[in-house]
Amino acid sequence: MDPTQLIPTPDTIPAPWEFFQLLLILTFFAHLVFMNAMLGSAMIALVREMRAKPADPPPCRDIASILPYTIAFAVNFGVAPLLFLQVLYGHFIYTSSILMGAYWLSIIGLLILAYYSAYLYKMGGDLPRITRIRALTTSILLLLIIAFLFVNNLTLMQTPQNWNAYFQRPDGTLLNLADPTLLARYLHFVVASVAMGGLLLAILALFQQKKGVVGAENRLRGGMQWFTYATMVEIGIGIPFLFSLPKNVHQLFVGGALLHTTLFTASLVTAFFALYYGAKERVWPATAAMGTTILLMVLVRDLARQAYLAPYFHPADLQIVPQWSPMLLFLAILVIGVAVVVYMLKLAARVPREVR
Amino acid sequence: MNYPVWQLDFSGGGLLIALIAVLHVYISHFAIGGGLFLVLTEMKGYREGSQPILDYTRQHTKFFLLLTLVLGAITGVGIWFTIALIAPAATSILIHNFVFGWAIEWVFFLGEIVSILIYYQTFGRMERRSHLLIGWLYFIFAWLSLFAINGIIGFMLTPGEWLATGNFWDGIFNPAFWPALFFRTFLCLMLAGLYGFLTSTAIKEEAFRLRMVRYCAAWLLAPFLLFLASAWWYVQALPEPQRAWIANFSPELAPFLTVFLWASVLLFLGGLIMVIRLPKTATRSLAVVLLLLGITYMGAFEYIREGSRRPFTLYGHIYANSILVKDLGAVQAKGILASAKWTGKEITAENRLVVGRQLFNIMCSPCHSVGGPMRDIKKMSAKYESVYAMEAEISGQGRLIRCMPPFAGNLQERHALAAYIIEGLHNRKEQTTPPPQLSAPPLAPLPFDPEQDGYVLIAWNSLGMHSISDADGTFSLMPPANDLFAQLIKRGPIPEVVTEGVALSFRVEQGFEKPAAQVGFWKDLPALFGRSLPDNIGLSGQGLSGVMQRKQGGRSFVAEKVPVVPYPAQGGYQPYPSFTIEARDKTTNTLLAATRMVAPVATEMGCKTCHGGGWRRGNTGISTAAAQDILTMHDRFHKTKLAAQVKAGKPVLCQSCHPDPILNGPGKAGLLNLSASIHGFHANFLGGRGAEACALCHPSSPQGATRFLRGIHHEAGLDCTTCHGALEDHALALLLAEKQAGKPGAQRLMQHLTPQGATPLAGIQPRTPWLQQPDCLTCHVNFGPPETDSAFNVWTTGADALYRNRHDDAGSIHCAGCHGSPHAEYPATNPYERERDNFAPRQYQSNPYPLGANRNCKLCHTVDMDTDLHHPNSLNMMRNTRE
Repeated sequence: MDPTQLIPTPDTIPAPWEFFQLLLILTFFAHLVFMNAMLGSAMIALVREMRAKPADPPPCRDIASILPYTIAFAVNFGVAPLLFLQVLYGHFIYTSSILMGAYWLSIIGLLILAYYSAYLYKMGGDLPRITRIRALTTSILLLLIIAFLFVNNLTLMQTPQNWNAYFQRPDGTLLNLADPTLLARYLHFVVASVAMGGLLLAILALFQQKKGVVGAENRLRGGMQWFTYATMVEIGIGIPFLFSLPKNVHQLFVGGALLHTTLFTASLVTAFFALYYGAKERVWPATAAMGTTILLMVLVRDLARQAYLAPYFHPADLQIVPQWSPMLLFLAILVIGVAVVVYMLKLAARVPREVR
Repeated sequence: MNYPVWQLDFSGGGLLIALIAVLHVYISHFAIGGGLFLVLTEMKGYREGSQPILDYTRQHTKFFLLLTLVLGAITGVGIWFTIALIAPAATSILIHNFVFGWAIEWVFFLGEIVSILIYYQTFGRMERRSHLLIGWLYFIFAWLSLFAINGIIGFMLTPGEWLATGNFWDGIFNPAFWPALFFRTFLCLMLAGLYGFLTSTAIKEEAFRLRMVRYCAAWLLAPFLLFLASAWWYVQALPEPQRAWIANFSPELAPFLTVFLWASVLLFLGGLIMVIRLPKTATRSLAVVLLLLGITYMGAFEYIREGSRRPFTLYGHIYANSILVKDLGAVQAKGILASAKWTGKEITAENRLVVGRQLFNIMCSPCHSVGGPMRDIKKMSAKYESVYAMEAEISGQGRLIRCMPPFAGNLQERHALAAYIIEGLHNRKEQTTPPPQLSAPPLAPLPFDPEQDGYVLIAWNSLGMHSISDADGTFSLMPPANDLFAQLIKRGPIPEVVTEGVALSFRVEQGFEKPAAQVGFWKDLPALFGRSLPDNIGLSGQGLSGVMQRKQGGRSFVAEKVPVVPYPAQGGYQPYPSFTIEARDKTTNTLLAATRMVAPVATEMGCKTCHGGGWRRGNTGISTAAAQDILTMHDRFHKTKLAAQVKAGKPVLCQSCHPDPILNGPGKAGLLNLSASIHGFHANFLGGRGAEACALCHPSSPQGATRFLRGIHHEAGLDCTTCHGALEDHALALLLAEKQAGKPGAQRLMQHLTPQGATPLAGIQPRTPWLQQPDCLTCHVNFGPPETDSAFNVWTTGADALYRNRHDDAGSIHCAGCHGSPHAEYPATNPYERERDNFAPRQYQSNPYPLGANRNCKLCHTVDMDTDLHHPNSLNMMRNTRE
């Protein structure tokens, strides 16, 4: 069946599409940062837990103590871009979600288990090493499965030509495994997480260093090494990923279109800066470079999606029925909410560290 | 329509959303009330300078955090995932119309996370005032989340002005917004107490435990009355259809309302018991029991709220099957396949079950599972014995079955869907069993000598077919009660109808003398009619043989309510038992004349087609299962307790409530007469089917065991609708009379019926059942050949004008005496034995034509006549002659 026949008719939007696009990009950027930090730091913690000798004190208590919180924020900042994605691309993401409904819904159960495992790991400083490892491994494996399912859905939503498989399997058990970009895309996200996990480790170590905590320097170095090597691997995966994209899509980024090529090139440049500062163990410049790279990559990713869907749809096609007053209220509440959050964080920052 | 359907089968019909939503709602309300509980308990600790209270609060915070932030928050996302999978079109509407509402709620969610994490992480370390401020901020963020979500959830049930304006604020501040907000807020507080029991009962030190358990009990009990008051306000604030749906205990919601009310009582009592000093294990167990009761309570409430939205996902805007209300007409005109994106586009003999499944996915699966716990379609459709019956049920959706949307498809789609359910799911193939072979031996002839005999005895049955319901022990729609009529004519140049000095007797044919051995009517009599009768004696005191009475004020004799049944002693089914009628001189007892007549009686009522249970015996009769289903449906639709009454051993007489002229039953004031209600109800399911619809219930099917249409009209190709109109028209005429009589039920049944014939609704003439029937003279103008092919809508003026009661112009002979019983007009063709109904003309004229046909005036007059004394054109020659 012609895929254009299958694409649902979208609903109207209450503000110009660019507004939602901006919110989508910003909140997705935040989601990526938290998600990468969460997954990456957990993976590094697991490696350290496995390397530690049974008699050693539990390593990575710093990561353990914040892991559930990074999950909380990864989820919270995941909700927002999913909302704005639904506003702009609802008719695609609903459809692809239904096609893989069983897997997609399983994410909720998997996430709850991953979350509780992370809490067990956080609160399990006194537990035997093997229990800590099991809790953390469970959490990581579940998060990796969730990531894989997300990659499936986000690729399936932009390839309506693959939707016909529904007619053979309407029970929500489709995955987008035949997509040539799937594996590279998945590894691209997972390896990026390792890099961000390393960076998080280094940032935590930097604070510890300032407070004169013993061993902070080693941890900082270790973190930056994770960051640097993972970023190198990341670039290595990124290239085949780029060329696994359909020709009409990847060509846009290698000279086919000015905007696409500029953003992509800029992201490569900032990535090299990140590498450079990583190698130099300069945490904040590396963080700035990495942050910029992620933001550019988010933009590149969005342009790639638009290129994928170009034969069928562009968010500019959506009809606008404006709702200005709710929009203003949202912006006001966002500002107040963020201010209150910042205030609360300040109050919290003043609290002396827990004495163990 | 727009989206593919996740085909779930067992877990379909909303099971996933029910499970995840109830869990989420139960935790998320605690996340709000519990937040206030935390900060107020912490304040209490400071105020009373109690470290144990602060320690308890800290412990409770950990429990709170682990429960609300993980399970509570993620199941919240889970609801969103689930509704997008199950109802993507409605979810898309919610997202696109309220994106800023959702975005605002997301900001609150962020504030909740940050504040509760800080509250937990800094407990006991942050300066008191700041820590309490963080606690208050958490509660404020959490309650504001409720504020935002409450607007959107309420919108789904009561969109109010939004339907017209599409305005964001109209949607959020919908009619149910404020009562729902109060209702949920009080619930949040109560849940804080309920969850508090779980941690407070774990306290080791007894006195402190009791103190904290009582503190939690206060949280549960104090808001209770306010909570119930806001629940009442909530219901009152609903617009009428939704309010009535709940307030009238609609059948769908009744069990949940009952659970809700009982759980209210139990929770309150449970809270009171917790105040008492009890052993730790007892309070701990009770805490768990109350928590489980709480989730049942919450589940019942949410089910009622969701259920009262039916058949919509967004009330008045989009149906549960994702069809927009405004699009329904267009979809019905175009068809579902032409309107939907994710289906096949045409139905063929090969793919009809596959397409039927796709139609099921779109139309049914939002509410029905296949083999699962939620409104299992297999269970609910098990009683429909055929595709045809299933189609009837589908036709009625959205009409009298108000919790379902109207079926949006065309006839082929309806058929494919029904075929998928019946053939695909129940594996019930259409059986093309040959119709039963009907036969009976010819009636033994009786002599008549036109030269010698001085009398002609004519006899007929008042009805062309007396249908009796043999749902013994369950209900009676019509008791065994045939009315036999006879007239004795003394032959001569001036014949005379003899009414004095003679005795007319009747006697049923051999084998039919003991109906009590065949049906349970006599056992049911006390319950049905409040009296007992000897076996085999009918309601007017007549048995299966006896003396006929002179019809009061008339010139005929009658045996009223003769309890004949179509089951001969030798077994089988014979709906045309004969009676021998004899006329004797009262003084000398000399036999003056004798004849035979057929007393048609049938038990072939097709209830089982849709009500299940199969036939009672052979190819006829209402099985107990079918009868019970009928009563269960009646109970469901009309809140009666008939099934329970039957269970208690008291069968139901329909006419005990529904007026019915045929039994002279006054019924209950204000209720529709039986004929109007039965035809009116079923017309909503069986419309558009011509005479086939009649045969589903009445014994007129050409493949049936009765085939009661046996008169010349049938042979000429006319069917039920020719005279009575299509079922809808027939029902409308009956209902209009009831409407004019001011009966409120009439409009409810009429509102979805569209006349099928040429007469528009405004032109349909109201009619009283049994007393007003089609008039022969509508077609046979001036007794001539028919001038039109429809007798519908011209009704006889009353009982006296009915064919069965009417006389010739001379006022002496009944129409039916010469022309035969209704539906068996001479020359009739009886399906059991061709000439059975033509006994009298065969006896007297050796032909099957009306008495006196072909100018056989000599039969009574003994001489030829040249005036059409009985009615105009009576001297014409027979038109419908037989070879």
